[in-house]
Amino acid sequence: MIPTDAPQIDILTISSAVLMIATFGVVVRRGFMDWLRAYRYQTMALSGVTAIIAYMTGIWEIYIAAALTLIIKAVVIPRVLLRVTSQLKFVARYELNPYISVRLSAIISALLVALAYFLTQQVPFRSDQILRAYLPVSLSLLFIGMFTMVNRRVALNQIVGLLIIENGLFLFATALTHGVSLIIEIGVFIDILVGVIISAALMTRISHTFDNLNVDNLEHLRDDKEE
Amino acid sequence: MIQELIASTGFSIIIVTLLFTPLAALVLTTLAGKKRSIETITAVSTFLILIQGIILVAAVISEKTVTAFNGLFYVDALGAVVLLPITLVGFVAALYSINYIGRQYNNGFIDHKQLVRYYQKFNLFIFTMLLVPVSNNLGLMWVAMEATTLVSVLLIMLYVKEDAIEAAWKYLIVATVGLSFAFFGITFFYYANTNAAASDLGEGLNWTIMLSNAELFDPTIVKIAFIFILVGYGTKAGLAPMHTWLPDAHSEAPTPVSALLSGVLLNCAIYAIVRFHIISSNAIGSLFSSQLLIILGVVSIGIAAASIYFQRDMKRMLAYSSVEHMGIVAFAIGTGGLIGIYGAVLHIINHAIAKPLMFFASGTVSQKFETKAMLHIKGVITVMPATGALFLLGGLAIVGMPPFNIFLSEFLILSSGFNSGQFIASSLVILFLIVIFASFTGHLVRMVFGTPRKAMKKGDLGNLAVIPMIILVVLALILGVYVPEPLQILARDVSTIINQGGLPK
Repeated sequence: MIPTDAPQIDILTISSAVLMIATFGVVVRRGFMDWLRAYRYQTMALSGVTAIIAYMTGIWEIYIAAALTLIIKAVVIPRVLLRVTSQLKFVARYELNPYISVRLSAIISALLVALAYFLTQQVPFRSDQILRAYLPVSLSLLFIGMFTMVNRRVALNQIVGLLIIENGLFLFATALTHGVSLIIEIGVFIDILVGVIISAALMTRISHTFDNLNVDNLEHLRDDKEE
Repeated sequence: MIQELIASTGFSIIIVTLLFTPLAALVLTTLAGKKRSIETITAVSTFLILIQGIILVAAVISEKTVTAFNGLFYVDALGAVVLLPITLVGFVAALYSINYIGRQYNNGFIDHKQLVRYYQKFNLFIFTMLLVPVSNNLGLMWVAMEATTLVSVLLIMLYVKEDAIEAAWKYLIVATVGLSFAFFGITFFYYANTNAAASDLGEGLNWTIMLSNAELFDPTIVKIAFIFILVGYGTKAGLAPMHTWLPDAHSEAPTPVSALLSGVLLNCAIYAIVRFHIISSNAIGSLFSSQLLIILGVVSIGIAAASIYFQRDMKRMLAYSSVEHMGIVAFAIGTGGLIGIYGAVLHIINHAIAKPLMFFASGTVSQKFETKAMLHIKGVITVMPATGALFLLGGLAIVGMPPFNIFLSEFLILSSGFNSGQFIASSLVILFLIVIFASFTGHLVRMVFGTPRKAMKKGDLGNLAVIPMIILVVLALILGVYVPEPLQILARDVSTIINQGGLPK
């Protein structure tokens, strides 16, 4: 390692650690409001990481992507979700009992992070500081997002799991390819935004039709259903 | 030379107008207030799309490729095979919608606002699907694919009832997570591409450019990338074991939308997989991706066979039949060779004809009998002679009875399977197909014949419910005995594209 690179590597390590901690903040929270706040912090961290990538590669489009992340994911999406929950006719903001306890979830998530680091070492990526720092983090986000999605009963919290996966996806694409192309990224952002709005509309309907937001209610459609 | 230039730009304009037509229809349906005019606008626009689609496919047959916007859009024979069913099924589904959605409106299941929303989203859905086969940029293709999910979720949400909400939620979550996997795969391929050749950032996502660099790709990365793609787009294509959302979504959607989802949208997802299959074959040889496609195909057919055997719900049975047919297409592409791809192309088109026919018939039946439970549906042919007869013919077509079209393509695919040495897989497919044949026909015969459980008013549900089905059944019969010359050329071109490195020769 060349000594002059040392400060930059510190930035990379610290920023990826911050992003990781923010992600764990989402895993260990049970209440929806805490979740959403943690998601917002995570997205801010992601935006910072994106800006660092932009600085190090010198590609100006990535700055725009960072700004878009900050505006759409840290401001607009949480606001949409908050709006929906305030319209719900009951308080479904707490995840009373996820399938696996919070303590165990944190341990499992830690194992998933280890798995992500292990897997990225198996693939012959070109050696690059950005890749080495952020690629395992992005895969961890994918795994943790999937884990939180299957672990939560409340529909609202499943959406946050989905958003974590999307954040992982974004970091992965930015770290690996230094931004796919701006037009495509804007398209992806719009898709995510519309997806969140649709899921918000669906949640309102679920709450009106089923009295609560538990996904356990959504088990009527089966092949062995008696008519 | 100048004539060629005019011809090529002329065809490029067709891609643009083709994409523009459904958007114009979307705006017009928003502006027009009356039910009648909204229906007319949608029918006319889908008819125009059909005409333009046929012109574009004819152009592809003569010119081999049509491009527009500096390579952003690229249509070759493979894209044409997916494009043709979109335009055809879009048109008949619009005709059928006038009857079906109109009846739901008259019966008070939906109000005027929902009717307007339905037609807006119907047009938007057509647009997003058309965008998939014409995109050369794989990122744009992904955006279009995710947009199809979002729009079709909105269409499923049309009915405010528990089952529809459940289906829409599952579909949204599963398909979106699936497509994130596909995006990981696309990013891997893009990374391999930028590593292989330092091409311009924006165009590195173009399929044609990836194809030209494919031989330089890192083999390990290509393998990982293809697995991500197969899981991602395989979810959207309803390949088992990622198919769990499909029977819910396809059975709870409004019937014309079910027809589009099953007959057309699944093809778009298979198409995306095939694009990456070609790149992966160029990079590391076709063995890896072919084997995976064959395995997923056989598993899909097997799971569909078991589910159809135990099925009680008419529309769910049709949805599982789509899982089966997508499995057959995946199997056919996996076996490869001239005959295999030829069969796959015919099968995509044949399924896109027969499955909407079945959904239309089942939609009319369920409106008349007011249930989807097969136990309560008896004597369709005595209550509704025309629909009952078409239902029976469509069912025989879908299980692969000669002289219908699906028999022909399944026969080609299975013979290709045995020729390519896939004895175990092909034997399993035959076994599953026999199970499906027996159980599907059993369910069908019990519904079509017999005496109705209660006295019902006889008669079909109007011309516009029957005409789309007649169009489709005639096509199914024609394609069963004779494959028209243009379609033969198209199928041969696709097999050149898939088997010989991706570019038409």
